This record gives sequence, structure tokens and C-alpha cells, in this order.
Amino acid sequence: MAGIKALISLSFGGAIGLMFLMLGCALPVYDKYWPLFLLFFYILSPIPYCISRRVVDDADSTSNACKELAIFLTTGIVISAFGLPVVFARAEVIAWGACALVLTGNIVIFGTILGFFLVFGSNDDFSWQQW
Amino acid sequence: CWCIDIHYGTLPIKKNTQQTFIRLGDSMSGFLDGIRCGDCECNVDWGERRNTIASVAAGVLFFTGWWIIIDAAVKYPDEGQFHHAYHTCGVIATLAFLMINAVSNGQVRGDSYSEGCLGQTGARVWLFIGFMLAFGSLIASMWILFGGFVVPKKPVYPGIAIFFQNGFGLQVWTHRGSLAVTDLFTLGSFYCKRQRASVIIHFL
Repeated sequence: MAGIKALISLSFGGAIGLMFLMLGCALPVYDKYWPLFLLFFYILSPIPYCISRRVVDDADSTSNACKELAIFLTTGIVISAFGLPVVFARAEVIAWGACALVLTGNIVIFGTILGFFLVFGSNDDFSWQQW
Repeated sequence: CWCIDIHYGTLPIKKNTQQTFIRLGDSMSGFLDGIRCGDCECNVDWGERRNTIASVAAGVLFFTGWWIIIDAAVKYPDEGQFHHAYHTCGVIATLAFLMINAVSNGQVRGDSYSEGCLGQTGARVWLFIGFMLAFGSLIASMWILFGGFVVPKKPVYPGIAIFFQNGFGLQVWTHRGSLAVTDLFTLGSFYCKRQRASVIIHFL
């Protein structure tokens, strides 16, 4: 099915993003593991939207306060994931090169998560048994 | 796309101008249709996605404001450069933001199903207090910038950070303001569309 190709390409994208994050931490010229705190933001980012999808039955789909709150919080988590490496680099905790690698990894991973929701998330009854 | 209807519809005009109307229509149709249908297309989705776009814009502004203040606190950690009490400004603005966005427009107008705990008057008072706190924290941030940083000739970045956190991050801009801005965009594009259509009718 078409889902398998999308799944493989999305997992490849996720692996590339995590590779950038690990490169930013583990290269011998940088060797600082502070950017691993971003994993917390990566895990946290789909949660508000998933909760709002489960809680609200999408009957009144036009104006939905829970979904808007979830989108607001998700945007906040994404902004925080971009802000944290920059603040680290300005505080000279990590190097600017590491910050650039980590930001690239950020972009790839959030693109992957967004792609996951676009490809697999837009079905009417959101059940966990779709595979 | 209703723009095309104006072009090819039956207008109450005289016979000879009607002939020129048809000829102009035939020769100019491809060129003008391309321009106008582009505008029509992107206004169709606007109604549904307006709330999503406003939420995203609000989230970006709000959290960017907070990260600016975190950055300032990291770069100027000691009390002499960045008095820790100045954080209060951002906290009050966040509180005001939460208060303003907790009340929906329907509750203030009085036409929603459930009146809520406070009723319509209570919703108005709540919103009033929220707006007062928001504008008060904006004024406080300007005062802090000038009174605490520019006049005593200290390094001015923390003051600017507080001002940006309040002015661009945490103010009425977020959610309600974003909704208002997207509504303005919709109105503006609608006005331009009508303006263009009236120009075309005038041309004919």
C-alpha cells in the first residue's frame, strides 16, 4: 500500500534528523551533550494535538477551542526547540557550529513529524489500529 | 469563481457597448482570468484555516517573547545589570493573555449556549481587567526600558528584551489580535477583489 513508502521515507527523515542532533553533540570538536535536552521537546510536540483529536469528536469542526489550544501549545514547543540551542550558543555552553547542526536536525525532525500527521493523521476515526 | 460571472454575465448596457463588451471579453479573457482566479482560490480556504493560522501566529509570538527574556536573563545574570523584579512585567502580561483568551466573543455578546460561571457582565468585567493588565504591562515595559536602562546608562539589551517580550510577544497580538489581523487581511483582499471587479466593469 502507499502507506509503506511514506512510512519508510518518514522514518528515514527521522533518522537523518536524529543523526544531525547527535553530530551536534558527539563530534570531537564539540563534545558537549547539552543539546540532548531537545529530545524532550521532540517527544512532547505531537502530544497536545493527539490529545485534542481524541477528546473532541470533531462534530463541530468549524471553531474548536481545544484544537486551537493544542495548535498553540505545539507551536510553542516547536519555538522552544529552536530557541534552546540558540540560547545555549549565546551562553557559550555549546559552539555555534553545534547549534547550526542541531537546528538543521530540528527542521528535519519537525518536518518528519508534520509529514507523519499529514500522511497518516487525516482519517475520520482516529484509531490506533490503522496498520 | 464569481469573478467570471461579472465578465460574462448580462449587464444592462446599450447595444453597441455590448458588442464591444463581447469583443473585449474574447480577446482579454485568458489574461484576466489567470490573474483573478488566483485571488479567488486562496480566499476560499481562508474561512476554515483562519483559526489555525491565528493560533500558529499567536504561539510563535508568545513563545518568541518568552525566549527573548530567557536569553536576556542568561546573558546578564547578575542583579545590577538585570534586576530580577523586572520579570514581573512578563508574568503579568502572560496572566493577562490567559485571561483575555479564556473568554470567547460569544460569551461577551451574550449569545452562547452556556453562560459560564459569571454571566455576560462577568465576562465583560473579566475581559476589561485582562485588557487593563495587558496594557499596563506594556506601559510598564516601556517605563522599565527608559527608566531602568536608558537613563542610568546601563547596557540596554535587557530593557529592550523586556519591551519586545511585552510589545511583540505577549500582548493582545496573540490570539485575539492574530484573529483580528487575519480578519483584516480577509477584508482587505475582499475589498481589492471588488475594487478590481469594479475597475473591469468601468473599463467595459
